[in-house]
Amino acid sequence: MGRRFEFGYILEFIPKLLDYLQITLLIVAASIALGLIVGLIVALPRMYHIPVLKRISAVYVSFFRGTPVLIQLFLIYYGLPELLKGLSIDASKVPVLAFVILTYGLHSGAFISEAIRAAVGAVDRGQVEAAYAIGMSGFEAFTRIVLPQAAAVSLPVFANLVIANLKDTSLAFTLGVMEMTGKSQTLGMTTQHFIEVYIALSLIYFVVSMILERLFLLAERRMLKYQPELAGHTSKKRLLQGLFLPQFKKGGEQA
Amino acid sequence: MKIDPVFIWTAFVKLLSALPMTLFITAISVGAGLVIGSIIALLRIYKVPVLQHLAAFYVTFIRGTPMLMHLFLVYFGLPALIDAVSGAFGWTFKSSSVPILVFVLIAFSITAGAYLAEVIRSGILAIDKGQLEAAYAIGMKTPQALWRIVFPQAFAVSLPNLSNSLIGMLHGSTLAFTVTAVEIFAEANIVATTNWKYFESFIAAALLYWGITLLIEKAVAVLEKRINVYNRGGVA
Repeated sequence: MGRRFEFGYILEFIPKLLDYLQITLLIVAASIALGLIVGLIVALPRMYHIPVLKRISAVYVSFFRGTPVLIQLFLIYYGLPELLKGLSIDASKVPVLAFVILTYGLHSGAFISEAIRAAVGAVDRGQVEAAYAIGMSGFEAFTRIVLPQAAAVSLPVFANLVIANLKDTSLAFTLGVMEMTGKSQTLGMTTQHFIEVYIALSLIYFVVSMILERLFLLAERRMLKYQPELAGHTSKKRLLQGLFLPQFKKGGEQA
Repeated sequence: MKIDPVFIWTAFVKLLSALPMTLFITAISVGAGLVIGSIIALLRIYKVPVLQHLAAFYVTFIRGTPMLMHLFLVYFGLPALIDAVSGAFGWTFKSSSVPILVFVLIAFSITAGAYLAEVIRSGILAIDKGQLEAAYAIGMKTPQALWRIVFPQAFAVSLPNLSNSLIGMLHGSTLAFTVTAVEIFAEANIVATTNWKYFESFIAAALLYWGITLLIEKAVAVLEKRINVYNRGGVA
């Protein structure tokens, strides 16, 4: 299986894989954007207790959280074109990447809707009442008062979802999408240096995860500025988690 | 090609033959992960010199990389390592005699260990220090106090997280198909390609995973109710 381990190959593979980082990041960004829209739409009926629709939302969330993302990928990739054929729409020309983004969007949408629900529940009820008292409509109260506060509260959860999404994108290669993991497969096949490829790939994923985590930590501290007691609490706790290995941060910055 | 509802049932029945493999992979990796996770968590809580940093590195690295990478690194790396060691000592043992499933189990245990280490650590840290002190006060040794006082309470606290990890590993076990271990997803692929009915097969697989997930959630909810009886407060 493969050839002798050669350290040099790791260094050689990293730039080659980095060429495809943009595709990975494109999948992450597009699917998270889609997931935010889907998540909000799915969360609303359950927050406002709209009959029937809230049941559908609950089933949607349960399904996408209750099945592996790999199955969802294959289900949508093979199933959606057939469903569309029933509506006499030809989906055979749609690129695979679109299916992948749609799947990850729907998948993270389910998790994001739960995060939104929890965060909105965490905003004090008095805030909405105060908004109504100064004459805001329900829509205004939600978008201008509740949502910004909920966003700050849910940021740590959201950060985890984005990082999980990044790691999940490694499965897109099973449908033949040329992102980093897909590239690593071809590199491994052509050079027969599988271990070196996967070490290089793991390092890239690791560094990207670390950078994302740092960015979200900074964003969180900024967004919680108006609540210093909360900001101090979360950042201290999470900084402590980050402190255990200072050399990581150096590694992250160098890359 | 039309959707064939009857075939969903046919596929579902066929997939059941691969269910034990999925459950086996999940159970072993979570079981081994609990052992690894407990050790890692204790190393970090007791701040054991050097080892605590290694433990922290392990947790951060595994949580920062996809589960697929752990599988590939173990699957491609470990055989090479075994053969190199075996060759250096002149043993006749070859990595090719190790079944693929063993590499899958090792890789997934490593993954589960890192995630469970965080679950266990937060569970233990959530237990009041007074509990441990009270255990010492009545003359218990540290292992005794941990095992009999701290762990049961930490278990109750971290039950929701444990359930999430278990479900995560169940869903993650689908990755085993990439190295040709035949669990539910691999079986679904086989059923799909041999019958040329992709959609139906994957619907069946999705339903099966969904069902197991709901069962786990239900079971954990029941367990949680039972286990938290001691913690309900009040006088009676």
